[in-house]
Amino acid sequence: MDIFTELFGFVFQYIDAVAFLILAAAGLSIIFGMMGVINMAHGELMMIGAYVTAFSMYAGIPAPIAIILAGAGAGVAGMILERLIIRHFYKQLLSSLVVTWGISMVVSQLFLITFGPTMESLPTPFSDIKILIGGDIGFSIVGAEGFVGIQDSSGRLPKGVESFGIYRVVMFVISILLIIGLWGLLRFTEFGTRARATMDNPTMANALGISTPRIYAFTFGLGSALAGISGGLFALSASITPFFGAAFTDKAFITVVVGGGTSVISGLVASAMALGAVQTIFTNVFSVYIGFVGMIGAAFLILLLMPTGISGYLAIRKSRSK
Amino acid sequence: MKEQRGMALRLFGLLNGPQTMGRGYFFWIGFLIIITVAYVAPTHLGIKPYKVNEFLVSGFLAASLSLLWGYCGILSLGQAAFFGIGGYTFGILGINMWDDNGNTHIALLSGVALPTLFAAFIGSIMFFARLKGVYIAILMLVLSLLFETFMLQTADPEVYSIGKALLGGSNGLRPASDIPNLSFGWGEAVAEFNGRRIGFYYFVLTLLIVVYLSLRILLNSSFGYLLVAVREDPDRTETFGYDVRLIQLGVFCIAAALAGLAGSLDTARINRVDPELVFGVSANIMVVIWVSVGGRKDLTAAILGAISLEWLFLWLTTTGSPEYATIVMGAILVFVMLIAPEGIFIFVGQWLGKLFSSKVGRQSEDQDTNV
Repeated sequence: MDIFTELFGFVFQYIDAVAFLILAAAGLSIIFGMMGVINMAHGELMMIGAYVTAFSMYAGIPAPIAIILAGAGAGVAGMILERLIIRHFYKQLLSSLVVTWGISMVVSQLFLITFGPTMESLPTPFSDIKILIGGDIGFSIVGAEGFVGIQDSSGRLPKGVESFGIYRVVMFVISILLIIGLWGLLRFTEFGTRARATMDNPTMANALGISTPRIYAFTFGLGSALAGISGGLFALSASITPFFGAAFTDKAFITVVVGGGTSVISGLVASAMALGAVQTIFTNVFSVYIGFVGMIGAAFLILLLMPTGISGYLAIRKSRSK
Repeated sequence: MKEQRGMALRLFGLLNGPQTMGRGYFFWIGFLIIITVAYVAPTHLGIKPYKVNEFLVSGFLAASLSLLWGYCGILSLGQAAFFGIGGYTFGILGINMWDDNGNTHIALLSGVALPTLFAAFIGSIMFFARLKGVYIAILMLVLSLLFETFMLQTADPEVYSIGKALLGGSNGLRPASDIPNLSFGWGEAVAEFNGRRIGFYYFVLTLLIVVYLSLRILLNSSFGYLLVAVREDPDRTETFGYDVRLIQLGVFCIAAALAGLAGSLDTARINRVDPELVFGVSANIMVVIWVSVGGRKDLTAAILGAISLEWLFLWLTTTGSPEYATIVMGAILVFVMLIAPEGIFIFVGQWLGKLFSSKVGRQSEDQDTNV
């Protein structure tokens, strides 16, 4: 394997890791940044998104629409939870952790009883398109037929050629689009202005005629919808079970905690980029498990240096330099 | 002589102090009745020790989280991590040292000491960095899941063995038949407590009562007042000249020791440690459920919560199915947090306290509200 192929593989893994962290944590970080609540039922909202995607696609709806439906479904579920239960716990952060954890337990068990332990898995989109790199080929993107043409008689690729699936790249692009969309939503829309005002100073925002309870409900719904969209995206490449969310939640929590709640989007992106780098390097040098351990070690280290997370640290730096 | 009597009186006074609910004659008479019933229950009331032993062990774990979260305001969503470390330590040392010693003194002591040391290490990082409470809660949970992931991939006997003990991956510590029962003594004179028999029941019940009373004394001493001060207003406590971080670290270590004790006892009880059962999400969430539903801000309520909810959970799993039992547990948690946020037993206790204190006067009731 030449150095170029190796480098490409490395970059590919890195953007995959970053996309994973951004998608897994986006909804959680919106809710944490705006309301200070860490939603322990985040994984279950992703799971709801995955199930909505699965049922829509069984019914013949194309994947992009199914994923949008997943966002809508999870968003509605999130808003119902917020109105019924979570709004009573805004002033007690630790209690909100506990109560959302209880909700997650109930929701995942309800899905287990209703739909059984597994669902028929969904086809991964673009799975027949591959990026081939290295050897005599250099760099090319091929479809299924081209791929078969390159394989030798026993189905192996020529020496030095590595293949990469393209869905990972698609997920990375979508995660960037989501981040840009989110930024635009908070920056340029009426809702964004009201939400940022509520985040800055709820009492003052309320006094100026902004209905803060409604903003909280919408923000929670927005975070849940993001979780649902991510769940739908992951549902296309992973097996769908009632405990689907558990694979994402611990990494999502770490990403959000490291990002901090001061500035949602920059914190999330910075944190995903830093942790993704640590994870990629440690996974390559040692193993997947050590990659995870390294990520948590890095999270500890970052929090030691910046107890309010990366975004909190940046905000302090900014205010000092003024 | 006089000094000794003064000391004893002071200790008794601490048992009865305002940081723990339940004071006065009615409480202590009730306490004695419950203990008496508990002691005669296996022989006269047909309670099966192999079932209830588990509940008693849970009592230590509940006390541990109540101390940490209820009294000092530090929520750990991964308290079972220390339970698991204690359990593994007891199991590994027990397997290796049983043949030489014939007792489990060292295994049990290490099962308490190792989690405490680990807590001192992690706690000094977390508290001295002044991490926010939410972060501590999450990091502890992630840490516990990290242990679970590690233990799940230790199936290879060549790599993951400590002396005669094999970590055994998802099957748990092996050889399970060599994990000893709890046994104390010297040389030939050894008392062994089989975890499914009545002897273990009496031993753990007595230990639980001793630990409970000692914790009551601790909580009503000046250290207990400091814990509550840190919970209510860390900044003000700091202004009075106390190092909040040291107090937090101290209670974190004590809580870890209690959880480690529970873990060791549990390993000895079933001669088994299973990574998913000690480090997994459900192990951690159950501790939080017992303590929040029972009442985190009072030791008695938390322990009662653990015992009664474990009982309910066992009854639900044997009559229905584990899935429904889990739903009921989660629903109880959410419901109680909405209706009686302080917890069921604190709610009941305060109501009983009002009922009885109305005859005595309003003095003790005023103290009640401070609890």
